[in-house]
Amino acid sequence: MTVRRIRNILRKEWELLFTDPNSALFVTLLPLLIVGQGIVYIWLAFRFGGESMLGSPVFQTALAKLLQAIPEVAGLPPSEQLLVLLLSQFQFFLLLIPIMIAVGIATFSIVDEKLTGSLEALLATPVRTWELLLGKTLAGAVPALLMTWISAGCFLLVVGLLRWGDVSRLVLTPSWFLILFLLTPAVAILSFMLGVVGSSRAKDAKSAQNMVVIIVFPILALIGIQVTGIIWFTPSLTLVLALVILAVDYIALRAAVRLFQRESITIQWR
Amino acid sequence: MAIIETFGLSRHFGDVTAVDDLTMAVESGEVVGLLGPNGAGKTTTIRMLAGIIGPTKGEAIVAGYRTDRNVEKLHEVVGMLTETPGLYSRLSARRNLEYFASFYPINNVTGRVEKYLKLMGLWERREDKVGTFSKGMKQRLALARALIHEPKVLFLDEPTSGLDPEAAGEVRQLIRGLGEAGCTIFLSTHNLTEAELLCHRIAVIHTRLLALDTTENLRRRFFQRAVMVELESADPNVVATVRKLPFVQEVKEEGSHLNIYIIDSERNRPELVRAIVEAGGKVITISEEQYTLEQVYLRLMEEEKASDSQAHS
Repeated sequence: MTVRRIRNILRKEWELLFTDPNSALFVTLLPLLIVGQGIVYIWLAFRFGGESMLGSPVFQTALAKLLQAIPEVAGLPPSEQLLVLLLSQFQFFLLLIPIMIAVGIATFSIVDEKLTGSLEALLATPVRTWELLLGKTLAGAVPALLMTWISAGCFLLVVGLLRWGDVSRLVLTPSWFLILFLLTPAVAILSFMLGVVGSSRAKDAKSAQNMVVIIVFPILALIGIQVTGIIWFTPSLTLVLALVILAVDYIALRAAVRLFQRESITIQWR
Repeated sequence: MAIIETFGLSRHFGDVTAVDDLTMAVESGEVVGLLGPNGAGKTTTIRMLAGIIGPTKGEAIVAGYRTDRNVEKLHEVVGMLTETPGLYSRLSARRNLEYFASFYPINNVTGRVEKYLKLMGLWERREDKVGTFSKGMKQRLALARALIHEPKVLFLDEPTSGLDPEAAGEVRQLIRGLGEAGCTIFLSTHNLTEAELLCHRIAVIHTRLLALDTTENLRRRFFQRAVMVELESADPNVVATVRKLPFVQEVKEEGSHLNIYIIDSERNRPELVRAIVEAGGKVITISEEQYTLEQVYLRLMEEEKASDSQAHS
């Protein structure tokens, strides 16, 4: 019964998502824009920044960590070392995709239902709170994840077309795959879960969005840590981080169920 | 057998009392109308009975389930039509029903959806997006949604509110059909004619329950029954005879027209007519003064206001 209910919530949410041209465009175009922007940034840095960028203390620290993690990089010319560094950092940039989509989509998931009056009808059915929240979370997280993977594929394709293929083999480390296939799903679920919670706690769509924007900051911090080389994410560290976030996902679901107060949602939102 | 029972059911929102000490029982198969002014606690009562919100005090048992416990089981046996249809406008009528049906233990969802789309006269439009539907069609679809799991008790919160007379008539017809089929219906409405037309009993609330009875009994409680008799000509002998009858409470005379207030109209009317004829009166017409539910309702509200101001003074 639970599986049937969640599957049905997923199906309904996807039907609604893809029959709204704005939402459909947002989900499909935003990831490609993020990837496109990232590639342009790397190309500009590689083409015009070159060795002068490597000279900055920020990059020096990061490069030292990179050389420690992948000793082969030491044999490359400085400009290619910079390229490997930038391409390695792009993996965290991809994490922004599910988060941005969550801010745009998940924040409306409960508010919209309340505004159209369907939430009260839904709460009059035997649906359990956790089924509803998990269904809504997965309904956003799955397409966001697929788009992240498609974007990663596009990224690799462009890297190949730009003849950066030789260095990209140094970038596609076990960490890269762990981030893409373990950390990104964990982050996607967390983002959408927090988005849905924000949506259920806020008084209207606008305040829901304002609340949920906060979830972007931890990921920006993660990118900052990687860029500045404070911590280099080795495969084991990435695995630990992914497992921690998966555990947080579970805790977040339990917290979300407690925070989703059917009664106050029904009474207070008008 | 009572299918809805409440015992001192109360609900407060901060300092505001929405429903106070509501005790009542509704029998299985009954259609009960809930009347009251805006803010009287009608929607709060329905929400409490449907297990959407809990009471602050007291308890309610609906179809054998406490409404503040085992809500999931309760929701399997009650249906609710909310104030707004609350449908997904970008989905078809069929998909809307399939979606809601999937939350219930229904074996053949497709068949059930077909049954209710046909019952509501929406089968031909099943693949159309709900956004293209008229208000009346949306309300019929929302009613189908409330019925899709064939609940034991149906709660309807202002089912014809905002509908044009034709659409409202269609919805009323459907509700009447459900009532005749034996479905227990608890409906809140502002439309007194609708309540009179559809309901076996009427509950009037203004935070607390002011009355719960049949329309007929409520009329009797507040108004004397008057039989209006038109004679061929005024006749003092007839008036004197009528005044002597034991069941006559009062006689008002206006020329050849008599307004006779009696205890039990149905039972005493034949005897009254016989007495008039035997006294030599020539009856042209005889009719009964009808009091509407609106008059009863307004009288109840007046009494409530009076008791409120007495309590405050």
